[in-house]
Amino acid sequence: MRSRRLSAFHRALLLSLLGAALLIASSFVGELRAYEGAQVAVYVIAISSITLLTGYSGQISLGHGAIMAIGGYGAALSFSLWNFPFEFALLFGLFIGTLSGFILGIAAARLSGPYLAGTTLALAVGLPTIADQFKVLGGEQGLNFDIGDAPSWLRKIEGEDFTQYKWFFWIATIIALMVIWAITNLLHSNYGRNWRAARNNPVAASLAGINVARGKVFAFTVSSALASLAGALFGLLLGLVTPTAFPLSLSFAIVTGAVLAGVGQLAGSIVGAVVLVAIPELSSALSTHLGDSQKLIANLPGLVTSLLLIIVVLFMPNGLRVRIFKNKFKST
Amino acid sequence: MFIDTLLIGLSSGAIYSLMSLALVLVWRSTRVVNFAQSGQAVLSTYIGYEIALRTHNYWISLPVAILTGALIGSLVDLLFMRLLARRVKTGPIAELAPVIATLGLLGLFQSLIGLFWGNAFLQYSSPLSGKGFTFGTHTVPFSPQNLFIVLASAAVLTIFGLVFKFTNLGLALRAASFQPEIAQLAGIRVGRVRNIGWSFAGAAGAVAGAVITPTSALSPNSLDLLFVSGFIAAVIGGLDSLVGAVVGGLILGIGFSFILQYIGSSVTFLAGFIILVVVLLVRPRGIFGKKVGRNA
Repeated sequence: MRSRRLSAFHRALLLSLLGAALLIASSFVGELRAYEGAQVAVYVIAISSITLLTGYSGQISLGHGAIMAIGGYGAALSFSLWNFPFEFALLFGLFIGTLSGFILGIAAARLSGPYLAGTTLALAVGLPTIADQFKVLGGEQGLNFDIGDAPSWLRKIEGEDFTQYKWFFWIATIIALMVIWAITNLLHSNYGRNWRAARNNPVAASLAGINVARGKVFAFTVSSALASLAGALFGLLLGLVTPTAFPLSLSFAIVTGAVLAGVGQLAGSIVGAVVLVAIPELSSALSTHLGDSQKLIANLPGLVTSLLLIIVVLFMPNGLRVRIFKNKFKST
Repeated sequence: MFIDTLLIGLSSGAIYSLMSLALVLVWRSTRVVNFAQSGQAVLSTYIGYEIALRTHNYWISLPVAILTGALIGSLVDLLFMRLLARRVKTGPIAELAPVIATLGLLGLFQSLIGLFWGNAFLQYSSPLSGKGFTFGTHTVPFSPQNLFIVLASAAVLTIFGLVFKFTNLGLALRAASFQPEIAQLAGIRVGRVRNIGWSFAGAAGAVAGAVITPTSALSPNSLDLLFVSGFIAAVIGGLDSLVGAVVGGLILGIGFSFILQYIGSSVTFLAGFIILVVVLLVRPRGIFGKKVGRNA
């Protein structure tokens, strides 16, 4: 069976092909679709952070929106205040988020189930309010994170219709694919195996010499790194970061996406991300169809999402699973 | 100044206690943190609002809202949670499923309310004045409505306390949450008793919604922050303990009120997070939580 497993190199090859196909495809779609594609890529990263944390390490977080905010603010701060180029700004956001994730992870490893859910929930509600406290974080107005157009060499190759949104799509897609590659490798490694062991049976795992607590802290740190990267990209797409850009509903949305995807499966995060981006689109089409009342427009997306969530949890608890790959890591 | 802050804290603490009690009741009986609680509470408050609109009488609408809350709680258990418990038992989702399912239910309640009543703020007012009592020249920021909030919460907490301590039903509720199988062997109809627990929780949430809403405004999301506070309070108290729920609520309410007074409004929830982390780092199962055996 081992021979059927793709090596890290083959996966890299496969993902680069996929990436190239996506980037070429991007020149055939409109502005809006390119932007939505970029959103999907960002959600893929955010959802995989939850998948990794919950599906593989068995911890629950309802506060990943707050960690995304840390990443977004880190990136925007270094970009607008210290004039970092945007690549380094993203890395800086990632760094700050990882550091905070490590500190939070130490606290989180001591907590279980609802206690962890409650703590992270409080974080999600509390953290965005800090931005109002410090002038340097820009208060309600937030911070600028407008990276402008693509560099001129790229526009020379791609032609003048290479718009900003397509440039965003390129950035987000390339990073998302790199992230998928990195996590897949990580989950294939000792670390991934130790997480699964510790989640399935902590006692047996520690008897086998696995340091359960350390594994949990590490998983939380990696997951936070992903979430903060997603947050930095999220800010990049919006062109700015504000306290209201990272509401509690964002934390819930990425958990929703992870569940729709089936929390045990990384490939599913793409499905979850597509669904998250598609729901507002579909329900606005539906509400126009049903007659454009204000109540309908405001509440239909919520209604559709909630119904979908309930149906999935009740009838397809392992997610809208697509068996693209024969799954070697059923995390059950 | 100190007394004023304390009184305000008492009033919000009482409300947090009610919400936290509702969560603890459900957690004890079904091991589910019911995120839909704020949705249930806000729905029953909307029913109360509707009754008050028709009858022009807050005192009729209040018991109706409470009964509706109990009914909704019971229906959520019957129609939804039982199905969930039967269907989702294994896999990585098992622990997360109740959280997700109740979050979905919360969204469902809120969007349905939005469809019926719209998302605009509504005024559900009580005949009690919202102006503070005046002693001589000094007006304290504690109004008859605040007093009513404290009294109503105290009444609910006392009734629940008495039921739990001195009635057969209370004994059955405690037994069913302590050891469901043994309780069943002893002739307790665990399913039905759990259902009663859910309806008690729904009623407690409904009281919280119906007495707090006159001090602000009613919208599909208006009880969300109350829910978050109630949850934090429940976790601080230790999710298994009714006394803990009340103590946690009061700690949080009074704590928030002092922070609001002496530091500033925008850090309150961050302070809630810090209080929570400090408590949990010292006692990972909350102040009144019991240490359980290894659940491997």
